[in-house]
Amino acid sequence: MSFSTLYRVLFKRNSVFVGTVLASAFVFQASFDSAVTKWYETHNKGKLWKDVKLQLQEGGDDEDEDEDDE
Amino acid sequence: MFSQVRRVATNATTRKFLAGGALISGVSASAALYADSLTAQAMTAAEHGLHPPAFSWPHNGPFDTFDHAAIRRGYQVYREVCAACHSLDRIAWRTLIGVSHTNQEVRDMSAEFEYDDEPDEQGNPKKRPGKLADYIPGPYPNEQAARSANQGALPPDLSLIVKARHGGADYIFSLLTGYPEEPPAGVVLPPGSNYNPYFPGGAIAMGRVLFDDLVEYEDGTPATTSQMAKDVTTFLNWCSEPEHDERKRLGLKAILVVSSLYLLSVWVKKFKWAAIKNRKFVFNPPKTKK
Amino acid sequence: MLSLRSSLRTSLKSLAPSTRMLSGSAVAAKSTYRTPNFGDSIKENNDPDRSRSYAYFMVGSLGLLSSAGAKSTVDSFISSMSASADVLAMAKVEVSLAAIPEGKNVVVKWQGKPVFIRHRTSAEVQEANEVQMAALKDPQTDADRTKDPQWLIMLGICTHLGCVPIGESGDFGGWFCPCHGSHYDISGRIRKGPAPLNLEIPAYEFEEDGQKVIVG
Repeated sequence: MSFSTLYRVLFKRNSVFVGTVLASAFVFQASFDSAVTKWYETHNKGKLWKDVKLQLQEGGDDEDEDEDDE
Repeated sequence: MFSQVRRVATNATTRKFLAGGALISGVSASAALYADSLTAQAMTAAEHGLHPPAFSWPHNGPFDTFDHAAIRRGYQVYREVCAACHSLDRIAWRTLIGVSHTNQEVRDMSAEFEYDDEPDEQGNPKKRPGKLADYIPGPYPNEQAARSANQGALPPDLSLIVKARHGGADYIFSLLTGYPEEPPAGVVLPPGSNYNPYFPGGAIAMGRVLFDDLVEYEDGTPATTSQMAKDVTTFLNWCSEPEHDERKRLGLKAILVVSSLYLLSVWVKKFKWAAIKNRKFVFNPPKTKK
Repeated sequence: MLSLRSSLRTSLKSLAPSTRMLSGSAVAAKSTYRTPNFGDSIKENNDPDRSRSYAYFMVGSLGLLSSAGAKSTVDSFISSMSASADVLAMAKVEVSLAAIPEGKNVVVKWQGKPVFIRHRTSAEVQEANEVQMAALKDPQTDADRTKDPQWLIMLGICTHLGCVPIGESGDFGGWFCPCHGSHYDISGRIRKGPAPLNLEIPAYEFEEDGQKVIVG
């Protein structure tokens, strides 16, 4: 898509421009939140409750369960 | 008059006299201050407690969560050791769900305790097993009972203890692991108190409670004194800051959004001002007739 | 500033004889202002569509992030009005149904209100179903009032003036309100007396294969 079409489709009419901005704000919020959460959970892998819960379900008999994932 | 004073001061003997006087008063003042610091114990480690070292907690970083396995073990240490004297009044059972225990585990844990129920038809007081909405019960019904059971000392509530003490988690860990075999020579302790260098004043009513293999962890972690202290401190830190993990996640989001907003607004400002700052005014004067 | 003004004044003073003071060519000719050269700032190969789209994109991104931030701010203010976690935790009550024998009433407290739970016998269920709709003041079938016909779960508050009806009494084998004499049948429907409506059914869910009910 060339820039002139982009301009014609999205930016020319202010109502379309503002509408696009507001609509993509919703999409952005959801996707940004899930992206940050995903990174946060990868960064803290092994320390979170869901990881601990998995470890517990696998059985507490495993002697050398090391939860310090650093 | 000033010139006169200068003339006096430039006199060599007078100058020596003044310098000697300054030296003597400086030394004697320092000696007096030092002597005072020895007697009054002002601003010393003995008065304020030894400064705890900064430990590398797993949740230290700006984007690091609590170690939830440690919270789970820490609850076990609290339940089996600390709960004998210390309450945890502000923590409801339900808050443990999804943090350190599953829903069913917390239900079972809460049902082990009895709570006051509404009276029956005859008006007799009734008891019921605990529910998720109940708060974790303390060991004593009131402050007087707690004091009389502990020789007059009141074990503080631990709900907010990490926030309520200087040094936070570092202090709690140092205190729990910092009991020496016996107090250093020359330290006189009041009766019924123990020596701990990290406690302000050095004399603490609580004795050493954590010893190796005091509890048995279900995940097989060796229960050394420092391991238990680390776990229970992590648990208490969670009690003080249950919003901790979510707070750091939101902080990350806020930093990202606000810094991009800043950069974008700088760009847009430059864009909007470009036309104004680069404006040329050209004035072409009309030709004057000569 | 002061020197500028005085210099302006002196320069204007020299114009005094002229009638058109500010457009005097003499001043312009004397000006030492050097017009800056903007040549360095002018892009080569400038694509106006591209730079215009870029500018719109940046302005739009600023608007996007600002509106997302504004939405979050408004959201957090509004969500502060919703019930807090401790209130929500108290908002439900769990009742184990296994302990209630057939043909027995149990009264539990839910949000300070009594909730009647009756384990109905099959004869009672049949009786509730046989009632003609025409005979009812507030017509409602028994199936509408129960999720499982064995269990009748309803708020124990008389719809007349809010007394608590007495169980297993009244002319219709259900509940009887002692305050003003309202009779409810075995499905909790009003049959006789001043009450206008049937006893209210709260929201409830069966869990663990009908072993437990959660009211709320």
